[in-house]
Amino acid sequence: MLPILGQAEPFMRIFPMTSRAFALLALFAWGFAAQSASAESCAELRELHGADIVSVHCGGAPSASFDAQGRLWVAFVQNKHVYVSHSDDKGASYSTPVRVNEEAEDTEFNGENRPKIIVAPQGEVMLSWTTKTSSNFTGLIRFSRSIDGGKTFEVPRTVNDDGLTTGHRFDSLFLSASGNLYLTWIDKRDMEASLAIGDAYPGAAIYYAVSKDFGKTFSSNYAVSQNSCECCRIAMAPQGDDNVAILWRQIYDSQIRDHAVAVLGPEGEVSGLDRATVDDWYIDACPHHGPSMVQAQDADQYHMAWFSAGDLHKGIYYARYDLGQADSNQLIEVDATPGAGHPSLAQHGDELLLAWKGFNGVATQLQVMSSKDDGKSWSPVQTVFNTEQASDHPLLISDGKAIYLSWSTAEFGYVFEELSHDN
Amino acid sequence: MTIKRTSTLCRFLPKALLVGVAIVSAAGASFAAHADNIENFGTQSFAQIKSAYEGKPFVVSLWSIDCAPCRVELKMLGELKKNDPDFALVVISTDSIENREEAADILDSYELAGIKTWMFADAFVERLRYSVDPLWHGELPRSYFFKADHSFESHSGILTREQIGKYFPSIEQ
Repeated sequence: MLPILGQAEPFMRIFPMTSRAFALLALFAWGFAAQSASAESCAELRELHGADIVSVHCGGAPSASFDAQGRLWVAFVQNKHVYVSHSDDKGASYSTPVRVNEEAEDTEFNGENRPKIIVAPQGEVMLSWTTKTSSNFTGLIRFSRSIDGGKTFEVPRTVNDDGLTTGHRFDSLFLSASGNLYLTWIDKRDMEASLAIGDAYPGAAIYYAVSKDFGKTFSSNYAVSQNSCECCRIAMAPQGDDNVAILWRQIYDSQIRDHAVAVLGPEGEVSGLDRATVDDWYIDACPHHGPSMVQAQDADQYHMAWFSAGDLHKGIYYARYDLGQADSNQLIEVDATPGAGHPSLAQHGDELLLAWKGFNGVATQLQVMSSKDDGKSWSPVQTVFNTEQASDHPLLISDGKAIYLSWSTAEFGYVFEELSHDN
Repeated sequence: MTIKRTSTLCRFLPKALLVGVAIVSAAGASFAAHADNIENFGTQSFAQIKSAYEGKPFVVSLWSIDCAPCRVELKMLGELKKNDPDFALVVISTDSIENREEAADILDSYELAGIKTWMFADAFVERLRYSVDPLWHGELPRSYFFKADHSFESHSGILTREQIGKYFPSIEQ
């Protein structure tokens, strides 16, 4: 069956083509100069190179970032190892993957849990991930780095410092402009302490650690907030040169799973802790559905996108959070269609993009819309990819020059495509 | 909410008894090549499960290895099923069936390894979720109460004994 997709459908009836070519045509319709086809499906690679091939197109739950020189770095999981590949042509070709952890670990890789990679201005390649240690939601926050440009990696370290076999999972990594490396995660040490004295403890807690020497050493662990949701990724965005703002799903009144925001400092300072979304999602369950956040043009304002099935809001929503006023505004219902989920935001210049997944019963659609006025008004929604096979959550990243889609798919392999208009 | 952690996995039932329970399960039994009673859940599976329960009420509980609240629900369901083997219960894991051993161990610890259960057997999970209910967002635990005419009500979050008792007044709690 041919993919059917928005405006280009009549064209498809006349000129059948591969899904990949069609996806590029859809990108072209969205208004980008589509790059040459680079991604290959893992199935194709396995046919060519054997079942054991390690590739960015075969690995699980990749994530990507650019270094100061514009080189693209991608981390992914395959066969209980984290691997790193880089690309000097923005994803058209990739270096041979380098193994980060020599010893196999049960590295988590799924939509909400994936290895993170950041390259410092001086070239340290820094990674965090979560290693599962049992079937009962336990894990370790792991960190490794390379100080030789990604050729070799240091033996991974455990950053959570409680020594407990409990939940330390859903890591996120952020480097401030001043060089503070923040590693946040969801932590169950306080839940353990409560249960030990017979007290109920809804959810988990948010913890973090800071490195001021690009991952050589880390601070002790700092607590941010009690009673977080235990199964959603944490979003991170700059606050000043030194600090980081984070957004996560928090449990309110023991039952409501909406979102909280806070600003973290390098010495364990937590400020601005407040409720960021009011959706009233009463649910005693795991949504497995974390938010996205980027800084707005006003440095105290943040663009947020998230999913809720609450009493007040059902679907994907966008709003702007004002840190100074501790208030959110410009609330927009992005997509309330059943199956819509996993939004990701990125901003470059005056262009703000929001990407997410839709599902129409047959195919997943990669949906994108853009705003040129800091989130006040938005373009119509465009479908830029359409696939009838499995796919990861989509992620948007920027290199300071453009915005790119980072998306692992069964059909197209690892998709890395420019989405912004204004380059 | 209190999560009881299962640090030790105990095996209660001898293999022969496990197989025996599978044979009398209401959804109809088929022998799998594996030691467990876990079946592939594909795009047609839910329709097949509904046909197997034609004209009968049943409960569906969807869970995953990674979902802590699901364990609370599985524990309760395991106790109900033990007390009342006729309880029409369909348990489906949304994990990939590649993780069947881990799932089987967890089901075993709640005395649910003896009944036929299902695991997602297609990486395109959106399609499988849609086959159960287009309005389900994937949150877990997720459950459905199917009446005899197969009209249904859905629930997100941990099921309670009271909810089940409301739909199945005859069940021995």
